[in-house]
Amino acid sequence: MNELSDKIRYWNPYVGGTLLGVLLFLSFFLTSHGLGASGGVNRIAVAVQDIVVPEHVDKSPYLAQMAGGDMDPLRHWIVLEVVGVLLGGFTSGMLRGRVRLQTYHGPQITPHTRWAFAFAGGILMGYGARLARGCTSGQALSGGAVLSVGSWAFMFAVFAGGYGLAWFVRRLWQPGA
Amino acid sequence: MKALFKPQVLGAGFLLAAAGALALYGQPDLEQKWEFMAPEYASRLEYREVYIDPAELLHLMNDDYIELLIYDVRDERDWNIFHLVDSERIDLADLPSQRKRLEGLSEMGVVVVVSNDEILATRAWKQLMALAKPNVYILEGGINHWLNVYGIVDDEHQGHDTASLARPDGTLRHPFKLALGARHAAARPDEHRVPQRRYTAKVKLLKKVVKAGGCG
Amino acid sequence: MAPFDLVALLGVTGSYLVYLGIGFGFGFILESSGFGDSRKLAAQFYFRELRVLKVMFTAIVVAMLLVFWASALGLLDYDEIMVKETWLWPGIVGGLIMGVGFILGGYCPGTSLVSVATLKVDGMFFLLGHVVGVLAFGESVGYINEFWNSSYMGRFILPELLGLDTGVVVLLVVCLALVMFLGFGWIQRIIYGRGDPE
Repeated sequence: MNELSDKIRYWNPYVGGTLLGVLLFLSFFLTSHGLGASGGVNRIAVAVQDIVVPEHVDKSPYLAQMAGGDMDPLRHWIVLEVVGVLLGGFTSGMLRGRVRLQTYHGPQITPHTRWAFAFAGGILMGYGARLARGCTSGQALSGGAVLSVGSWAFMFAVFAGGYGLAWFVRRLWQPGA
Repeated sequence: MKALFKPQVLGAGFLLAAAGALALYGQPDLEQKWEFMAPEYASRLEYREVYIDPAELLHLMNDDYIELLIYDVRDERDWNIFHLVDSERIDLADLPSQRKRLEGLSEMGVVVVVSNDEILATRAWKQLMALAKPNVYILEGGINHWLNVYGIVDDEHQGHDTASLARPDGTLRHPFKLALGARHAAARPDEHRVPQRRYTAKVKLLKKVVKAGGCG
Repeated sequence: MAPFDLVALLGVTGSYLVYLGIGFGFGFILESSGFGDSRKLAAQFYFRELRVLKVMFTAIVVAMLLVFWASALGLLDYDEIMVKETWLWPGIVGGLIMGVGFILGGYCPGTSLVSVATLKVDGMFFLLGHVVGVLAFGESVGYINEFWNSSYMGRFILPELLGLDTGVVVLLVVCLALVMFLGFGWIQRIIYGRGDPE
C-alpha cells in the first residue's frame, strides 16, 4: 500500500465528509429518512429465507413483520438504497481503475487469514447491527446528525469496541513487529 | 499569519460561525412553526373541517373506544363556574408540556379543545398542531354554544344567551348563580335524554405514522 | 415544508429512483474517499489514518447544520423526519459488538458493499459473514427479546437529555468534532511523528 500515491487518488476526507453531509441532508429533506445499509442486507437475507423456508418465516414474529405471508421484504426503500450503493461504489471504482479482484490485508497476514477474520467480523457486525437497530451509516451517521441520544451512545460504543480490541489484534493490520 | 487561512482553519471557523449563528437565531417556537405550516393546514380552519358540533363531542364523550382528551383553555374563573366533565384546564403557555403525551396517544386518540367561543381554542389548535400534529378538533361555538344546546335553565344556570354566537368576545355569557364546575347537569348531558341533533360528523381516526426508525 | 410524501409526488417507481440515486451518491462518495479499503478503515483504530473520524464527523456536522438551519427557516419540519428511536442498552451492546466486528472484519455494512462493488474478496467474505450474523440474530432474537426491547426511550434527542436549546447542542457538537480532530491528530503525531498527509 503506497500511502503517498493513495493520497493523490483518494479524496480529501474533509471534502468527502462535506459531500456526504450534504447528501445526508438531502436524504432527510427529500425522503424524511437518513441513510442506511445494514437494514437492506438484512432484508435481502430475509427474502432468501422466505424463498427457502417460508413457513418458518411466517411463524417467527420478528421475521413475519418483514416477510410474513405475501409481504415482500424487498419492497422497502433501504433495499433500493443498498443497490444504489453497490452501483455507486462500482462506478467510482471503475472511473479510477480500482475495480480489481484482490484482497486487502495487513502486511503481516495472508489473504486466507484475512478472509477468515473478515467473515468472523462480518458475523459480529450483522448480529450487532440488528441488536442496535442500525449500523454506522444508519445509527451513527444519520441518527447522530439529528441528535438522537441512542445514536450517539451507539457511536461511542462502536469506537470503544474497536479501539479496545485494536492492540490485541494489531497483527491483522499493523506493519512490522 | 498564513496559517490562519489554511483551508482547515477556515472550514472550522465557518462551521463554528454557522453553529453560533444558528444558536442565536434559534429553532422556531410554536407560533413561528404554525406560520410555516399554515399553507398546508390553515384550510382546515377556513373550511371548518375541524370544528365539531356539541352533539359530536357528546358522542365522543360516551364512546368507550375513543381515547378522548379535552383541553379547556379558558381561565380559572370560567373553569370554576362551569366546565365539561373529564376536561382538563390548561393555559396556552403550558401547551408545550403536552408534547410527549400527545405523541403517545394511540390511533384511537382524539383531542378536543374548548374555550368560551372559538377564539382561544383556535389559537390553541394551531399551537397543538405545531407541537405534535395530533388528531385535534375544536368545539364549535365553544362553551357558550354548548350551554345553548344542553344548558337547563334552573336556579344555578339562570338563562341562555341565545345571541351568544353573534357576538363572540371570548367571555362566558351564560349567567350562573353558583360556580359548580363540572357538577352542573350540562357538564355531562345524558345522551339518551337530550333531543337528538343532526350534525356533520367530522372526527376521523388517523393511522399512526411512526416518525422514527429506518433500518428495517 | 419538507419532507414531502415522495410516493404521493412521484409514485412508487419514482420514489424508488430517488432512493437508488441517493444510494448511488453514498456509494460513490464512500469509494472515492477510500472506504472500500479495509486497511484504511482499520488504520483508524491505530491512529495511523484518521479518515474514518474525519469523514464521519464532518458529514455529521455538515448534515446537522443543514438540517437545523432548514428547520429554523421553516424549510424542513424536524418533527417529520426520522429520528432513530433510543433503546439505550441494546444500542450500546450492539455498538460494542460492532466495534469488535469492525476491527476484526475491517468493514462496516455500508463500506463492505462498496468493497464488494470493487471486487474485493475480503469484502465479499465480510458480507457473507454479515448475512450469517443477520440470520443468526433472526433465529435467536426470541431468547433475548426482553433485552432487545429494554431501555426504550422513544424519540429522545440530546437537547432533551442535556436540557439545553437545540442551537446550543449543535454548537457543542461542532466543538466536539473539532476537538476530536485536533486531539486525534495530536495522538497520531505522538505515535507516528507525523500527521495525515492532508
